[in-house]
Amino acid sequence: MKAERLNPALDRITRVRGVRGAMVVSADDGLVVADALMEGIRGNAVAALAGSLAARLGRAAAVTDAGGQRFVHLAAEGGALLLLAGSEGLLIVAVTDHHVNVGLARLEMQRAAEEIA
Amino acid sequence: MTAELARDPASLVFLQLGEALRLQRQLDAAARVARSGLERHPDRPDALDLYARVLADAGNRDGARETWEHVLTLAPRHVGALKGLAYLAYRERDYDAALDMLETALSEDPADQTVVLALQTARAAADRLDAEFRLRTGADIFAGIEGADHAILLLDARGLVLGGVLRDHRGLVVSEEVAAYIAGAAQEAERAARVLELGEWQTLECEGTDGHLHVSPPARDAILLVRRDRAVPAGRVALLARRAAAAAQAWLEAQAG
Amino acid sequence: MKARVIEPWLMAPLERFVRECGARLTLIMTPSGQVLAQYGFTRAVEVMSAAALGAGIAASTAEIVKMLDEPDFRVLNHQSPHHGIFLGRFATGRGPLLALAVYGADTSIGLVQLFFEDLVADLEAAAPVVAPRGPVLAADFERDLNESLATLFR
Repeated sequence: MKAERLNPALDRITRVRGVRGAMVVSADDGLVVADALMEGIRGNAVAALAGSLAARLGRAAAVTDAGGQRFVHLAAEGGALLLLAGSEGLLIVAVTDHHVNVGLARLEMQRAAEEIA
Repeated sequence: MTAELARDPASLVFLQLGEALRLQRQLDAAARVARSGLERHPDRPDALDLYARVLADAGNRDGARETWEHVLTLAPRHVGALKGLAYLAYRERDYDAALDMLETALSEDPADQTVVLALQTARAAADRLDAEFRLRTGADIFAGIEGADHAILLLDARGLVLGGVLRDHRGLVVSEEVAAYIAGAAQEAERAARVLELGEWQTLECEGTDGHLHVSPPARDAILLVRRDRAVPAGRVALLARRAAAAAQAWLEAQAG
Repeated sequence: MKARVIEPWLMAPLERFVRECGARLTLIMTPSGQVLAQYGFTRAVEVMSAAALGAGIAASTAEIVKMLDEPDFRVLNHQSPHHGIFLGRFATGRGPLLALAVYGADTSIGLVQLFFEDLVADLEAAAPVVAPRGPVLAADFERDLNESLATLFR
């Protein structure tokens, strides 16, 4: 997987208004593969917690017959965390503010996942 | 009636006299008349029934119960004994037993309006008790909300079920297992929001290959899960989740109150 | 489950680290392998041996890094099928220390590393500053080691 594919893909996600950072994360390890982050976003923290959240929710989805995880939206008072399952155990992650257009962000994340695959 | 009894102590007028005295709350006198009549008519069901009624009015429920049960050994479908035992069961909140006996009494004497009234009273009490139970145990928290019988679950922060039910694709109840996993996911959501300084977490939505999950905290230390098939749009899931959250909040407040 | 610590200031940061990252075993030790604090399923490994080996790994890795003329290493991680073994170096007002963490599949290296940084910051904030020590005599070292063993196995 080459940086020239990852970085433009992440860049397009960050152009969605309200997105403060976009990353490719190794889901099992919770480690950063590539990132495009605004100042103040702790990439290693986002990666680790996104991986852990995806793992926990994935187990919950399996036992509730919701199937394999595709997209996760954690909404909080001051922002949101979006996770999209990519190929080869990767997660496309976006950190956003509260008012982000989730549908648009998800669309760009989906495109990024397809480019990276 | 007293004069007639004095003239003929073996007369059955003691039944009417005893009942009249009982209704006038002259229970000691009613008891003496009933006992005196039983000395001459020891196995007469009506006499025993009278005595049991006096005992019941005097607060001697064990004595009343014993006497009515004896009546039923002599006359298994004696309406008075059935009504009396139904009354004792009602007082002890055993509404099922009361209803059984009253329905037997009604089948014996369909015209007996006292039995009809007693049945209505016992049925209403049984319904109220059932509603209280369902409210207390959360069996009906989400009544009227789409999916209430298989796809909405309320749990506490420890992963224990508070109410609602979740079934798998075979229709089997999987509430407890699901609650444990969802609590773990909610804990992780809380931690992620805290460490990443996103504020208090509000909702956690997961779109899976086969269905949607919507997880939210309707109250402190409570977690709500709404699950829907994939065909249901995410916006509709969120709407259902808001209705379910309102129901959960109302129930939780009732528990706390 | 409580930590066993030589000095009280180690307790809270260690407990927080274990709680957040879910490590099964954590040791905090000096570069010479003297265990200052331990927390977790300590029966799974021979703690003193693990500390000595961890210190040895840190020392040998530091030498290789020096040979390559690189800045000193900060973290090492080994991933086995069922466990990960994490070794981190950091400085405190009490001198350099090592953290050895063994973790399972229910967590990740990302989380361990994330909360290791918090552990370092917490220990740095909590560590009391002491005056520089003179050369350590063999007798002093033996006495200190025996005292630390006595504390840990009380």
